[in-house]
Amino acid sequence: MPAPSPAAVVHRHHVTQLGPPDAPALVFAHGFGSDQDMWRDVALRFAEDHRVVLFDHVGAGRSDHAAYDAERYASLDGYAEDLLEICEALDLRDAVVVGHSVGAMVAVAAAVRDASRIGQLVLVAPSPRYVDDPGTGYVGGFSREDVDELLESLDSNYFAWAAMMAPVVMGRPDAPHLGEALTASFCRLDPDVARDFAQVTFLSDSRDLLPRVSVPTVVLQCEQDALAPRAVGEHVRRTVPHGTLVQLRAAGHCPHVSAPEETAAAIRHHLLGAS
Amino acid sequence: MTSAPERAADAPPAAPRPAAPPRPRTDPDDAAPPATAPAAPASPGAEALWHAAPCAHLVVSADGAVVDVNDTFLRWTGHRRDDVVGSDFARLLPVGDRILFSTHGLPQLTLTGRLDEVALQVRGADGTRHAALLSAVRLDESGLLLVALFSAAERRRYELDLLAARRRAEDSEARIAEAEAQAQHRVRHDPLTGLLNRTGLLEVLEGELGEACCEDPVTVVYIDLDGFKTVNDSLGHASGDELLVEAAARLRAALPEGAALARLAGDEFAVLHRLPAAGVRFLAEDLLAALAAPVVLSGVEVVVSASIGVAAADDELVAGSGGAARDDDGDGAEGPGERLLRRADAAMYRAKAAGRACWRRHEPGRGDPTADRLLLLEQLRHAIAEGQLRLHYQPRVEVGSGAVVGVEALVRWQHPTRGLLPPSEFVDVAEDSGLVRELGAWVLEEAVAQAVRWERHPDGAPVQMAVNVSARQLVDPRLVPTITGLLERHGLPAHRLVLEITETALMRQPEVALAALRDLRALGLHLAVDDFGTGYSSFTYLKRFAVDELKIDRSFVAGMTTDPRDHAIVASCVGLGHALGVVVVGEGVEDGQQRAALEELGCDLAQGYLFSRPVPPGPVPPTAG
Repeated sequence: MPAPSPAAVVHRHHVTQLGPPDAPALVFAHGFGSDQDMWRDVALRFAEDHRVVLFDHVGAGRSDHAAYDAERYASLDGYAEDLLEICEALDLRDAVVVGHSVGAMVAVAAAVRDASRIGQLVLVAPSPRYVDDPGTGYVGGFSREDVDELLESLDSNYFAWAAMMAPVVMGRPDAPHLGEALTASFCRLDPDVARDFAQVTFLSDSRDLLPRVSVPTVVLQCEQDALAPRAVGEHVRRTVPHGTLVQLRAAGHCPHVSAPEETAAAIRHHLLGAS
Repeated sequence: MTSAPERAADAPPAAPRPAAPPRPRTDPDDAAPPATAPAAPASPGAEALWHAAPCAHLVVSADGAVVDVNDTFLRWTGHRRDDVVGSDFARLLPVGDRILFSTHGLPQLTLTGRLDEVALQVRGADGTRHAALLSAVRLDESGLLLVALFSAAERRRYELDLLAARRRAEDSEARIAEAEAQAQHRVRHDPLTGLLNRTGLLEVLEGELGEACCEDPVTVVYIDLDGFKTVNDSLGHASGDELLVEAAARLRAALPEGAALARLAGDEFAVLHRLPAAGVRFLAEDLLAALAAPVVLSGVEVVVSASIGVAAADDELVAGSGGAARDDDGDGAEGPGERLLRRADAAMYRAKAAGRACWRRHEPGRGDPTADRLLLLEQLRHAIAEGQLRLHYQPRVEVGSGAVVGVEALVRWQHPTRGLLPPSEFVDVAEDSGLVRELGAWVLEEAVAQAVRWERHPDGAPVQMAVNVSARQLVDPRLVPTITGLLERHGLPAHRLVLEITETALMRQPEVALAALRDLRALGLHLAVDDFGTGYSSFTYLKRFAVDELKIDRSFVAGMTTDPRDHAIVASCVGLGHALGVVVVGEGVEDGQQRAALEELGCDLAQGYLFSRPVPPGPVPPTAG
């Protein structure tokens, strides 16, 4: 299959760019249940001196929902390929990819596949496998029963998920510089896509990719993260060849939302070549 | 199925469920709790209000930990205060809701300040799940979250009903789509091998040809198994099928990624792939090698080779309409895909003609007559086996009355791409190669069968059937037994079959021919000398070979009304024939003057366009116009 044109990629992912185009590039990959808007309080802190690239995974936010292909996105590979296509379309060099949650594992998969345009990874609340693996002593935080329950709820909670994913208008009088585009909606996700994405996210096992990451990798670990416990962050840091773990004071799974200042500072502090 | 009223009656829980919070009012404006509710009740009055509130309330810290709950929540869920306070709010939710709340609900609450009527479930102390609607606000000063939970059991039931209906609809849609897909698949695929069939391949091919031609050219590789018929004939059709399936699997395994493989018919396969001209050799050789290894069928080791023809699309093919098609003697109505397939097919025949187990490339405008002849021969061999030959019949009439007394059977070839070919296009080639024996045998069989069909038709009539016999046929020792068997099998009286033999044929091996004619005559057949006057018109053979009929060559008949010498020759022939006591036939009669001239000379029978051109067989014998 021929690579899609840069314009097609930009449209497909509703790619948004902030900051000077010739500055070092920072690409933000969102996780499950969210979209690029979730990054804004962090992203804006880099817009002055970085080329900030925001995008939505296909099926989320303002991406081209018609481009959703259940086959392509049946594994994280499809998402990773998208990420590489975005780097290619924007002709990024040595980009720092900041991925949250499953977006972190998408970044890992992309870097393993082709690191020619990626210079560094920042993984926010990553988990290469959510389910415990008693065979190897790996603790992902979710039991087998949890997973069965999740699968069941994926099926029976359709309307709940649909309602939760419905667009919400958000006004941010405190951040008028965000502009119209960033305030029009909040994290829309097609409920059917959400179902697929949840399966891919919570059933995937990307542990074997970690040793194959060739670029420097920073893990941002939160306190009391219900989805990615501390042991998981430790595992990631231990397993990637060039890993650093940063323990945030922020609690929960979304430090970029609950503690954007701390999160942005941690990222900036660990950027390669940061002054 | 439970009816709606019954379900409604069942809705309130029979067991005591203390202080279940009421369902929310439906007016959206009223749904949200007041944003100014106190996070930590200051006065005893407010404290009592907080605990007695009709809804379950929680105060949650910005990072999701429960700070406080009211008694309504504890009564509803059965949790103890100490178990809840300080723990993560998301832990109160089943895993699916927990994930969604952590990844979506909480961030939304943080960023936008509120959440309205989110449907979820809350886990009770005993594991029971309580369906609920969650609304929440974020208090700006403290960042604390005030969460209200409304019971939504009934709404949940409706949702599950709706969901079940949705799933049923999806299932039935999926089933319909699957059935349609299967039907579509059947139209485009070969049931034996699962490969594309001709229709499917052409569809892919036309699609590929429609693509911009910036890549390698679309190339068709036409593959015909050598010796497949032998397997089918000797080991049976089941083994033949097994061989085809095995061949399909081997071809598939030998193909590069992205190549399409089809079974067109019988033992013919085709590969469709984009590849550079330089890559053709490797692909063709890989395919030949893949098929060359022996196959064990019914315990017998069979070695099958293949002949391969390759043709690649060029600009002329894609752009070409009628002009390009005519170049290839093809049908102007065919699309570029069919044209390309036909070119590969022709190249395959060249491979067969070159000795099989090899491959040949299509060569546009190729003019090597030897190769063309071999190609034609190979195609003719297939034509005989696959029923592409036809017989047309030209009436033989009495010159005087115009009454039809018989017909001459004339072979035609319904060529798959070149249309209906007259014998002049292929009989010489057949004659040179010996294939004429098979050709002749087919013609005899079909002509005799037709004569019998006409005779048996209620409105039919017995006719004399004249069939041409070649020199090679005549000296073939199998001719006499073949004809004997044929007449017996079909039940045609021998005297109704006329064999037409050219002078040339008689003179090639006179002794053998003489013996054959003697035997045939003994059977009771009629023998005619065809094209009389054009070959070795020697009186000797008229004396030695006892014949029943002379057919005066059309060239003399054509000139007899304008050239006195032609007239003289025809007159002599008629005189000679009558003198020997044989029937005389004038061939190629095209107009009334010629007919009148023949009648005047006393010629017995005539045939030609004046009476009728050769026509395909109808239910009754053809008539003369």
